[in-house]
Amino acid sequence: MAELDEIIHQPLRLKIMAALNALPAGTGLEFVRLKKLTGATDGNLGAHIETLARAGYVTVDKAFVGKKPQTTVVLAASGRAAFARHVAGLQEIIAGAAAKPP
Amino acid sequence: MIDSLEAARALSEIEDVTRRVRQSQIYRLASLLMILWGALVFAGNLVTYLTPFYAEKAWLSVYVLGIGGSVLLGALEKARSGVRSFDLRALLAFVMFFAFGFFVETIGHFGPREMGAFWPVYFMLFYGLAGLWFGIAFTMFGLCVTALTLIGYLYVGVAFPLWMAVVNGVGLILGGLWMRRS
Repeated sequence: MAELDEIIHQPLRLKIMAALNALPAGTGLEFVRLKKLTGATDGNLGAHIETLARAGYVTVDKAFVGKKPQTTVVLAASGRAAFARHVAGLQEIIAGAAAKPP
Repeated sequence: MIDSLEAARALSEIEDVTRRVRQSQIYRLASLLMILWGALVFAGNLVTYLTPFYAEKAWLSVYVLGIGGSVLLGALEKARSGVRSFDLRALLAFVMFFAFGFFVETIGHFGPREMGAFWPVYFMLFYGLAGLWFGIAFTMFGLCVTALTLIGYLYVGVAFPLWMAVVNGVGLILGGLWMRRS
């Protein structure tokens, strides 16, 4: 039975997770790059990252590069596993629909 | 529960974001390489224009520093992002690229002016080809520099190396900075 993750399924959070999942484990994306990739606004992106962080799917590192603050979001191992399950769930739904007689 | 159409849309969204992340990783390293090569090519052309006697040595230095710098940048980028982008295969590709270039240059008995036009156009051919896989920005950049190089070759007189310092050197730097933002 397809198992979809309600936290990941929200469109912007899905994009965030997909972007982070495309990177090697342990590496992250800066907030500004994530914003560009997802097309989200600062506030919206921040809120959804917080939701993902609360679920333990991502970690947020805040540091200063020179005098500029830089926020980096990294996909946690549990987030990667949850994302893989979510994708498998989506594929299962499509496979199930294709198998149904017309 | 969602239907298969919504599931397909979500998967397509994931695929699109994944492709864009990988493209941005490639653009990031490419932009650093373009800035490095731009600075070196600018210096090489400037030396060729100001002191033609040292041109050969200057260009040899450009190639050595360029290849060494590219390997170093690739290693630094790998350490930063974990993405392997410049490895032994890339180094060998560089060596083959230059070997073929030198071969053509030798059998073609190119003079300094012909070499000044050949190398950038040859370089830009690969930008054009790279664009077919990694993003249209490479192809557009390659076509622009090629066109400007040919205009310079045909219509600019003794200041051709200076023209190339701007078109190829500054062009690569600006292209790299632009790519960094995209």
